Formats: sequence, structure tokens, C-alpha cells
Amino acid sequence: MSRLSFILRRLGRSVFTIWFAVTVTFLLLRLLPGDPALAIASPNMTDDARAALLTQYGLDKPLIAQYGIYLFELVRGNFGTSFTQSIPVMNVLLQRLPWTLLLTFTALLLTVLVGIPLGVLAASKKGRFIDKFVQIVGVTGQSIFVPSIGVLLLFVFGLNLRWLPIGGAYDTNAYGMAWYGSVISHLILPAVSLMLIQLGSYVLTMRSTLIEALGEDYVTLARANGLPYRRILWKHALRNALLPTTTLIGLQLGFLVGGAVLTETVFAYPGIGRGIYEAVTQLDFPVLQGAFLLLAVTVVVANMLTDIVYGFLDPRVKTS
Amino acid sequence: MRKRNLSIAVAAAAALIALSACAPSAPPASTSTAATAGSDTLTIATTTDVVNYNPLIGNSRSDYWVTNLMYPHLLSIADDGKKEPQVATKWGYVNDTTGFYDLRSDMKWSDGTPLTAADVAWTMNAVKKDAPSGTFYGQMANFVSATAVSDTRVEIALSKPDSSIVEEIGFWGNVVPKHVFEKAASVAKFANDGTDGGWVSAGPYTLKTVQVGQSYSMDRVDSYPLVEGGVPIAAKVVYRVFPDINTEILALQSGEVDAIANALPPAQVAQLKSSSGITVEEVGGLGYAHMTYNMKNADLAKLQVRQALAASVDYDAIRKVVLQDQAVSTGSSPLMPVLSDYYDKSLTEYTFDTDKARQLMQQAGYTADSSGNFPVAFKFIYSLQDSVTSQWAQLVKDGAAKAGITINLVGTERNTYLAATAKGDYDIYAGNFAIMDDPVTNFTLAYLPGGAINYSLVDDPALNDLIAQGTVATDTASKVAIMQKAAKIVHDQVYDNVMYTQNLFFAHSSKWEGFVTKPSELLSIVNPLSVASAHKVG
Amino acid sequence: MTSLDPLLAGATTGTAVLAEPIADSNGRASRATWRVFRRDPLGMGSMVILALLVLVALAAPLIATYPASYGTDVLKAPSLTNLFGTDSLGRDVFGEVIWGTQQSLLVAVSASFIAIVVGTLVAVLGAYFRRLDGFISIIVDLTLSLPVLPLMILIAALIGPSTTTIIGVVAAFSWPEVTRLVRSQALTVVNLPYVDAARLMTTSPFWIISRHIVPAVAPVIVVSVVVTASRAVLSAAGLAFLGLGDPTVWSWGRILYEAQQSGAMSSAWWLTLIPSIAILLLVLSATLLSIAYNDARNPRNRAR
Repeated sequence: MSRLSFILRRLGRSVFTIWFAVTVTFLLLRLLPGDPALAIASPNMTDDARAALLTQYGLDKPLIAQYGIYLFELVRGNFGTSFTQSIPVMNVLLQRLPWTLLLTFTALLLTVLVGIPLGVLAASKKGRFIDKFVQIVGVTGQSIFVPSIGVLLLFVFGLNLRWLPIGGAYDTNAYGMAWYGSVISHLILPAVSLMLIQLGSYVLTMRSTLIEALGEDYVTLARANGLPYRRILWKHALRNALLPTTTLIGLQLGFLVGGAVLTETVFAYPGIGRGIYEAVTQLDFPVLQGAFLLLAVTVVVANMLTDIVYGFLDPRVKTS
Repeated sequence: MRKRNLSIAVAAAAALIALSACAPSAPPASTSTAATAGSDTLTIATTTDVVNYNPLIGNSRSDYWVTNLMYPHLLSIADDGKKEPQVATKWGYVNDTTGFYDLRSDMKWSDGTPLTAADVAWTMNAVKKDAPSGTFYGQMANFVSATAVSDTRVEIALSKPDSSIVEEIGFWGNVVPKHVFEKAASVAKFANDGTDGGWVSAGPYTLKTVQVGQSYSMDRVDSYPLVEGGVPIAAKVVYRVFPDINTEILALQSGEVDAIANALPPAQVAQLKSSSGITVEEVGGLGYAHMTYNMKNADLAKLQVRQALAASVDYDAIRKVVLQDQAVSTGSSPLMPVLSDYYDKSLTEYTFDTDKARQLMQQAGYTADSSGNFPVAFKFIYSLQDSVTSQWAQLVKDGAAKAGITINLVGTERNTYLAATAKGDYDIYAGNFAIMDDPVTNFTLAYLPGGAINYSLVDDPALNDLIAQGTVATDTASKVAIMQKAAKIVHDQVYDNVMYTQNLFFAHSSKWEGFVTKPSELLSIVNPLSVASAHKVG
Repeated sequence: MTSLDPLLAGATTGTAVLAEPIADSNGRASRATWRVFRRDPLGMGSMVILALLVLVALAAPLIATYPASYGTDVLKAPSLTNLFGTDSLGRDVFGEVIWGTQQSLLVAVSASFIAIVVGTLVAVLGAYFRRLDGFISIIVDLTLSLPVLPLMILIAALIGPSTTTIIGVVAAFSWPEVTRLVRSQALTVVNLPYVDAARLMTTSPFWIISRHIVPAVAPVIVVSVVVTASRAVLSAAGLAFLGLGDPTVWSWGRILYEAQQSGAMSSAWWLTLIPSIAILLLVLSATLLSIAYNDARNPRNRAR
């Protein structure tokens, strides 16, 4: 019974989160200055034609009516039609979403694969040179301005060494297995840049939680019982230290999906962050609303996944 | 524990694979039927996505470049702004209020349907009726209707005499396939995104696959009579999107793309000219960059204030530093030297002389304070997306400061800039036009009251009268004389401070040759004829 | 440009990893903290770099003349006349970087100041007036779940780029994390006996909050200031790079943006490298400083 109510509350909260994001976006678009008719019409368009466009978009209605219509259509699964492109919003966004998710997941995976061992290393050598060194590397990564490192990586690996392609998500002339190969080769540089800038969070979180865990009584007890340090470190302490890291992943995933716009810009990667930037420049309200909705859904799903993984990892959840 | 870690890793991997599988799968390789043409792919870089596949709506550069390869124009343009035949072979007027176009008979759509006068007339009438937001509709003010009098002749009825409209509609308007577009209720809302069985083209290439944010792949059509040999040479054309011009240049240098469609930033021209393996082509400009002074502002309504502002701009420095000597002075006249018929050598550029500017301000009745500043301040708007204007705006401000005139720079995102422009919320407006090919049309839009680009909000009876005369003048000589008189008023009254025509530079790989350059960034080396003629060497 | 950083992220996990809530506002503890801190070369080094940057910002007019609007030698590599080279309009990059320090620090300090004041106020009010707390934590959670960078882009583009816009936008999306961080600390303080005692002595919540709660959360605030400020620099540079920075004032982001617009990022390396290093130095030293401060504050480390 408590499980059911937990799930229901969780779902309710998710819907509430999505509603909040959607409403904030809706209001920002309408209350801040900006005339979509101007943005899409050519400069030699008459005022009448502009007014007609606003009517066509439904922007001449009162705010509350627009909001009601928007929510009603949303619930019916209608995300609207792009102002500038006259095609359904999801057609525009769903072409970009898979690439964003691929890039984000890969970057996260890389970060975890690199960040956790580094954090463990730093924690086990606490206070020594290697600890400081790992910390500096991690913090340096997140202090880097992405476009700068992006251009540098492209210059070295794309132009000078010619190891990796410049821009895009895949090779338009590759087919079959070669196509998958091209997807991977196009993914490497943007994913590595994204990894660099978030590595620090994982290394430092891992390090400090692990240090804390290593100071716990049960670890001291285990050591007194003669268990090898390595085994204690990896088996007992690490397991506890993984919990905050998992939460971090859940939190960061949502931010990453929309926040990779600079990376996508420099690497010409067809992601949703760049799509949002372009929709902003065109004042394409429905596309922006749709994009922010997708981001909110991603955050919610990421948090749910985190909860599930959390349940796997947390011994207290298991025993209860 | 280990097992659980493994299962998480497996789940993550499965998610990744599932994602990859969601991605659009590669299309089958296209089979070429043309024997003479090559099998190469020409990859062209652009900085923005295609927003509209419907050429009647599209406004962005990428829209124009991609749809131009599918939907031909009746007329093309020469380096001096004169119109050249494309789909139309002859054009002109039957009488004062009737124009005509004679069309080629050998054009056909990629689905086999011939391109006839019916398509042309239908396109024009649909644009007039539905008012799509592209440039085409803006040329239709005096247009009433079009009739296909035969398969190869279209006649247009005009509401009043207009000696420019035939060429302007012919140049700016595309021809779209009637049998595809007529299914839509309105051409203003038709997305033409290929979801209904793909695209139908009468240009050298047809769009086949799109990856939004990345690439637009186009296949050659079997027959394109406008290119020598009748068949486009490259088998495929791929437009690739590089939002950052730095990445775009790296991609050209690495050979990942063969050409860049956008004009190079002035400071990069020398650098790329000296790069091996890269050819830089120069293309004449057909437009101009300018500043207009808002006549509704009480200070700016005074001629001497406008003259003072015009005298406080260091035009040479702007052209030399910001444009790296890649621009020519227009003699402060909207009739640029490139329009050789119209250009009037007797109009000379405003002289940069801040002392004279101070005198003019005093004559206008202003007294400078103790620090030498006059009690005026002007709001100067420009778009931050326009990097060249953003750069010279600062020079204009500094020059005016020397003359004791305060200019407040308000550089904004393009939409804010457009909104401010539409509301007249500025004192000085800075911007540029890519193509100002026809003086009468441009003067009508730029200097008549209510004109769409009348950014100085000028209403001068003498000027209005001359423009009206120009509109109905039919022979070139008298038209030129009238427009020169009008330009002299604009120059002497400083209604519009036209600063330069920028010559543009385009880079492509030296492995490709045969590009046919056309003026302006819209046509440059990516106009349909050029793309169809380009071929790989060696 | 992740919007989470280790210090705040640690706090969001509920374990308050680095910014450990320790109520040591008295002088003895501070002196102890300083003794440990002084021995940490990373912390001291960071402090020196930060101090230097502040000095550069304040003394900019003495170090370099304000960049002219143009020069004749464009895109010249660093030399003795132009230490950091020239940009695509022939302007001296050295002057741009020096004067840019002012603007970059101004944005950082102002944005973090606003975020800290708002964030702390909300957190402390929530902690003290428990009825508000539920509402506040919902708002904070919801705001934290919003996609920050896309929203910043949206707002900056619609309102129009200016220094005020950037400061406002960065502050608007930074305060919830401050609230979250400070709140967890404030909650532990509110329930301490001496606060209960204070409640008996006075009825003025203002007095209790200002005399007991705010001093107790001060160390957490110190950490937040540094972190929020350094993140503001990265956010401002990111917005500037997308063309949403203040185009009339020199900042590190503007140098990078203009390098990008003129296509010079890879060929004129000095235009990219030097402002990037400036950003790196500021963010890196700020972050290392706060890590060192936290380590020093932790009694467990002091015992060592």
C-alpha cells in the first residue's frame, strides 16, 4: 500500500514539475518583449500582413485564453505547429532529440567511467600529491570555456591529425556498419568535451563521500578484523559512496540535455540545445514550448531512473 | 554486487544501442543514370538550418540556397544588376498595365511533368492571394493577376503603370509546381517539407534526405537545360550546417566540405587566400550598408544636424579597417557604382571633418558645453547578428563624439532590432541590404511615406514626385535621369547615409572548379547554375 | 558550462559533502581555520591569484589604456608592442583583457551578491518560519529542475543583451542552489538549544535571525559566494559567445565572441587562448579556494 501511494505521489510530483516548466516557458514567451510575426516576415511586409500572422498564430487572444487552449491541446497530445515552418513541433524536435540523448548518455558514461576511479584514487591517497593533482585536473576541466577547448580539439584532431571528423553527427555518405562507425567517430570529440567540463563534480563528490565512508565505524571494524584495505575500499566504502554519485547523475542529465548548446554549436552537432537557440532567434513559440516540455520530461525520467538505481544500490532500501 | 554493476552497464549499453537504432537509417545509394556527368558529391557548408522548404515563405540564406536549386526563377542577374534570362527568355510590356514573359519550352519537373506557363501564372496568383511572408509578395504591390496565354507565355495585369515590376517579379519570384502546391489550402501555410512523397524540383538538384541540424542531401535531376551539357555535373549536393564559422573554416581546410556558402568575414580573406588547397572567389556586391536618420526626431529633422552627423563619420577608416578594403564608396548615394547605368559620378562622399560638424551644429542653434559636447544624444540601433555593422558602429560613435555629438549604441538581438525598427524606436538606424538591384523599386520602398524600408521616415514632396515619375517612365534614359535627380535629393538632404557596397569573398576547395559567380551573397558561388557546373579536378 | 558544481552538487545530495554544516562562527574557530588554510599551498595560491585579478580590475586604467575603436595592424600575433597581439579590428588585446577583467568581475560579484542575498534570505526565512518552508522547498526544487542555460538564452534574447540583463539572468537562476545549500545548514542551527533559548528571550524573529542564524550559516555563504561568482563568469561568457553579451563593454566573453564572429578562433590563437586562460584562472582559483577553505574548516582535518 505504501508502495502504491509512493508511486502515485512520485507521479504527481513529476506531472507537477512538467506543468511548472511548461507554464514558466509559456509566460516568459508572452510576457517578455518579442513579436514573432516580425521575426519571420521579410522586412518589406505590411502591418496588415503582420497582424494577420498574429491572428493566425492565435497570439491576438487574451493571455488566459491562449494558456487554456495551449494546455487543453497539450493534454490531447497536440504540441502545436511551428510558426516559422508550418509543420508539427514534434517533427522538428524529434529529429534532434535522439542525437542529444546519445551525446548526453555517452558523455555521462564516459564521465562516470573516468570520474569514479579518479575519485577513488584521490580518496585513497588523501592529502598526498596524487590527491591534489586529481582535484586540480577535475576542477580545471569544469573551469574551461567549452568553445575554446572545442576549437582546439577540432584543430588538433580534425585538421592537423585528421583522426576525427569535423562537425555533424554522422557521415551522409556512409551506409551499413560504416554508418555506425561514423556515428561513433563524430561522437568522440563533443562527448569528450562534455566529459571534461563535468568530470570535476564526480571526482570531488566521489572523493569526499568516500573519505567520509572510510572514516565510518564499520570500515574501522573491518580493518581491525584484518580485511585487506583494497577489498574494504572497493566493496564496502565504494558502495556507499556511489549513492550521492547516482543522485548527481540524475540531476546532471536534465541539465546536460539542454545545456550542451555551446558544445553543439562548436561541434555542429544536431542537438536540441542548438535547436532551442535557433527557435529563440526565430521567436518560434510552439517549438520553444515543445523543447522545454521535452527537457522537463527528460529531467523527470532521469530522476525516476535515478530512484530505481538508488534502490538497487542502497542497502537500506533492500533490507526494508 | 559485481553482478548488479554489470546489469546496470548492460542496461546502459542497451539504451545506447536502442537510441542508435532509433536514428534514421542510411538511405540506399543513389544510382546515376546520366553518363556524361560525374559521380562526385559537392559538400557545401552553411551556418544555419533550412527553416522553410517553401520558397515563397523562406527568408533565411539557407532557405534561399537550398530552394533555389529546386524552384527556378524567371530571371537571373548580371554583375551590374541587369536582368538575364533564366526560365524566361524574353520579358517586357504589352502596354502600360500589362507585362509579359516568354518561357523556355524545355523545362520539366523532376516527376516528369513539364514546367509551363500554367505553373508560373498559378504561382504568381497564389502569392498575390495568400500573401506568404517571403520577399516575393513584397514585389506584388501593383500586380493584379497573371494569365497563361499559352504554354510558354505569361501575361500579368497591373493596377497601374509600373516599369519595374516585370523584372522584379521575374528576379525575386520562384516558380513552384502547381500540381504539388495546389493541394495546399494556402501557399502561405504550405510547409513543403517532403512528407507527401518527397520534393518535386525543376532545378539542377532535388532534396532527398534531411537531418535537421546537420545536413541536407540533394540528388541530381536527369535534365537541367540551363547548364552546359544539359545535366548537372556533381551527382549529389550536400548542404552541411556549421553554426560556428570557425568550425566551418576548419572543415573546409580539412577537406570535409568543398565550399562555404556564407561570405567570409573580411579579416579572414587574406588568411584563406594564402592557405594552400583553398581558392577564394571575389563576388561583387549588389547592395549597400547605410545609416538612416529618423526624421521624426526634432533634432534630426534639422538638415544641419544630419549634415553634422554625416561629417563625423570616418568612412575611409571603416572601409579600410572593418572591411579590409573590400568595399567601395557609393559617393554617399543610394545609386551604387555597380549599377553602372544609374551611377552619378557628380555625387561625392560626405567629407569626414569633425570641425565642420561642430560648425554645422552651431549653425543649427546648438551650443556646446564646457567640455565641448552639444546637448543632443541619439539612440543608434543595429543587429548583433550583423557582425560587420556591429564593428563599425563603434567607429561611428567615436567620430560623433569628436564632433561633440553623443551617440548611444544599442546593439540587440535581431528580433529586438526588427521590433525597434518597426516601431520607429530609434534615432539612427544602421543596417544593410544584400540586393538593391532596381532603383525605382528600392526608392519606392525606402523613401516614399509608408514604404516598408523607409527607415528615415522621410516624406519629401519633391522626392515623392520624382519617384512617382520614375515608376511610370518606360525608356531607360529618362528613368535614369529621374532617379539621379531623386538620388541627389537623398544625398544633399542626408535622408540616407549610404556608406559602401561590400564586395564579398567566398572560399572553396581548389579540388573543385567551374563555379559561376553571381553578385551578392544570395547567389555568389551557390546559385543553381554554379552548383550544376562545378566539377572536381584531377 | 554545467550548472552544477561539486560544492553545491554535494549539498544537493543531502550529504553536504564539502560545505559541511559546522557552526563555528566564533573567533577561535576562525583562527584555527586560518592556521590550517595557511598551510595549504593550493588554497594560498588561489587566494593570491584571485587577489591579483581583483587588483587588475581595480587598477585597469593604470595598467592599460582603454582599447581604441580600431587600429591599423589587424590580427597581429603577440609582440612587444602588443603583448597579447591585436584583434580583427587592430585593437590591442592586452587592453581588452585588462579592461575585460573589470566587467567580468563586476558581473561575477553582482550576480553572486544578488543570488546570495535572495537565496540566503529565502532559506533563513524558510528555516525559521516552518510554515513557509514547505512552500519554499517546492519552489526551489521546481526551479532547480528547469533547464537553466536554455532559459537564460531565452530571457537574454528577449529582453536584450546588456550588463544588467546578464547579471539579472545569472542571479535569477543561481539563488535556488544557494537556498538549498544554506537551508540545510540553517535547519540544523534553528533546532540548536541556544536558538530555542533566544526564542524565549525575545519575540523578534529579526533579532534571532540576524544574531544567531545568519552568523551560523556564514561559512556556507562564503563558499556559495565564491562558487556562484565563478559560475557567473562562465555563464556570462557563454551568453556573450552566443551573441547575448553586452556589446559595448569589454569583457572576456566579448573578446571570445568577436573572435568567433570574425572566424579567427583557430588562426589567431591568441584571441581564443588569452581570454580563455583568464576565465580558467578565475574559476579555477575560486573553486580551489573554496575547497581549501572547507577542508580547513573541517575539524577532522584540523586534527591531522
